[in-house]
Amino acid sequence: MEEKTIRILLTKAEQDCHDRGVRYIATKLREAGYEVIYTNFLYPEEIVNTAVQEDVDVVGLSSSTLGHLTVLRHVIDGLRLEGREDVAVIVGGIVPDDDREALASLGVRGVFGPGSTADELLGYIKQNANDRNTL
Amino acid sequence: MVVRAAGCTEEMIDRGHEEVNMFDPKVLEEDNEKKKSWTNEFGKVQKKFLGERPYQPSTASGIPLMPLYTPEDVKHIPYEEIGLPGFFPFARGNYPMGYQFMSWANQPVIGCGTPEETRERMDYLREQGMTGYFGNTFYNLVYDLATHGGFDPSDRAAEGRIGECGMSVYSIPTMEILFKDIPLDRTNVVHITMNQTMPILAIYLAYAEMRGYSPDQLRGNTMNWYHTYNVVSGLATFPPEMCDRLAAELIWFCTKNMPRWNTTNLFGYGIEEAGANAYEEVAVIVSAGMSITRRCMEQGLKPDEFLPRFGFQIGQGNDFFEEIAKIRALRKIWAKTNCHQFGARNPQSMQVRIHTHTSGAMLTAQQPLVNLIRTTLQALGAALSGVQAMEIPGYDEALAIPSEESARLALRIQQVIAEETNITKVTDPLGGSYYMEWLTAEIERKAMELIEKIEEQGGFIKAWESGFIRSVVERSARKWKEEVDSGNRVVIGVNKYRMEEEKKMPLYKINPETARIQKEGEIAYKKNRDQAKLDKALKDLEESLTHFRQGDNDHSIMPIMIEAARCGATNGELMSLMKNTLGWLSSAVVAPC
Repeated sequence: MEEKTIRILLTKAEQDCHDRGVRYIATKLREAGYEVIYTNFLYPEEIVNTAVQEDVDVVGLSSSTLGHLTVLRHVIDGLRLEGREDVAVIVGGIVPDDDREALASLGVRGVFGPGSTADELLGYIKQNANDRNTL
Repeated sequence: MVVRAAGCTEEMIDRGHEEVNMFDPKVLEEDNEKKKSWTNEFGKVQKKFLGERPYQPSTASGIPLMPLYTPEDVKHIPYEEIGLPGFFPFARGNYPMGYQFMSWANQPVIGCGTPEETRERMDYLREQGMTGYFGNTFYNLVYDLATHGGFDPSDRAAEGRIGECGMSVYSIPTMEILFKDIPLDRTNVVHITMNQTMPILAIYLAYAEMRGYSPDQLRGNTMNWYHTYNVVSGLATFPPEMCDRLAAELIWFCTKNMPRWNTTNLFGYGIEEAGANAYEEVAVIVSAGMSITRRCMEQGLKPDEFLPRFGFQIGQGNDFFEEIAKIRALRKIWAKTNCHQFGARNPQSMQVRIHTHTSGAMLTAQQPLVNLIRTTLQALGAALSGVQAMEIPGYDEALAIPSEESARLALRIQQVIAEETNITKVTDPLGGSYYMEWLTAEIERKAMELIEKIEEQGGFIKAWESGFIRSVVERSARKWKEEVDSGNRVVIGVNKYRMEEEKKMPLYKINPETARIQKEGEIAYKKNRDQAKLDKALKDLEESLTHFRQGDNDHSIMPIMIEAARCGATNGELMSLMKNTLGWLSSAVVAPC
């Protein structure tokens, strides 16, 4: 059976221009053979809708304004309501260490805070790519 | 320049009494002979350290460097290209006096949470010695993400964005909290806005009028970043062509009504922060300036009427000398372009007034106190470049809005450089350095090549629409990140000298009640307006904007917007009219990734 290409939604809040990191990540992921969709969102449900419509395997939120806990709660609840708990939700950017516990208990499966490299993210995706449920 | 020949052979000592010009061909020839020996010696040492491995250092932007610069390397530069400070082409600075009687203006960015909290920070920094020109205070105020987006606090789209990255100020009453009792005619107020530049200026003018100030008395700055923010922000925007027209319209209004107002800030900083290297920042920002200049001239304004009120915000990054050379090159290019291409004759039309913003992108979340050292060096570089004002981010700004302590220390950096180092006593102390003059000429050449490329594509707007500018900036952003990830570019605390972080820093957090307070304030205010009067003003504005979109410009947008603001219109209401009538493009259209 042909392997499905992993699809990744990268997203960032509208109005927040700090997108240098996430755009770089988008490029690196594409070059590694993944399908990447990049959006800016006004409302968290836009993330859920895009994730479902585009049938993505991973949602990556880029955050630099400390609003990520609220947004990710909405996203994870929304995906659950859509029956898409299998989508791995990860976050990167300015994520304080203090938030890690709260993020984990929300069900966020990967945190790529300051100092993370593109290779770390690529490694994470690759390692988990064979079975989307383990992502 | 005259030097006494010196050396160690008898022959040289004998000649030592003769005064010779360092650029005399004979001297240059002799020096080149000596340079051969120097190169030979250098080669031996290089081999000792590196063996046969290649060695080619370069600047952060990739300009190859030689290990030493001598008169030979600058002899091709006509002296008038360097000249004197205060004289065309202003390579050595805008003014003869440098900082000798007045330092640059302290212009830290302020804006956090509610207008009350922001005012507290304004007062605090003023007490700590924050000073502008002639003893006046400059307030450099940044609006929050909700306001940037055009959403008042009670709008659902404002959720999570109220008081974030700036202050929640969107109406006359919120401005009153911010500016109460501040003499607006003796204060410089800089409004850091994105697409809401016109609405915020309209509200500010209506507020100032209530306080008894007419527009011609006000001093300060609108960013007018309709182009220069949107080209790299990757966010929703008015269509590029419309941005160009809006920028020119704002300039038209201010030129006619606000002679002390700085209309436009050419936002090189944003372009650098998005990833552009030194010469790309210069090229993109000059191209943007050229585009606005042409648009203003098409509207019938003369260059000397509006160019003196343009300023620049320029980043100061990590490559110490290159960032200085960048500023000197920018001054030359802007002066020559405006003089030769646009026929400007007033020196102020040719001068690049610079607000430096030391680089936020170079700050690290790791070992954050190290950022104090980085920003100090960057600020020193800016001072040695002869800039007019400075913002230095707090050392904690990779993590949060600066705390009171980090904001104070950032101000202290400016004060130490200005008042303790003695560097302010000589105008352009680096002028004449072989390396600096060579690098300035080199950056000018590289930037001009890119400006010509942008011009060949039809100018800034076309190069924005085609994605060319974005691709240039992203290529450099990528190069930088790959160099950091591979360890080829050292970032201390990130890829070298890493350590377990010892203690947690107290970070500034906005009051968790901010959103509630701001929403309640908005709802209460909106109930108390004369709705019929407001509706009429908004309807007039819609009509004016519709005419404007259709190319029928009677310059009524700003006057009508001010009238609407007098009737209590908020930023959210004005912005939503602008978006609906002028077109609003999602980021997926303007900056696909």
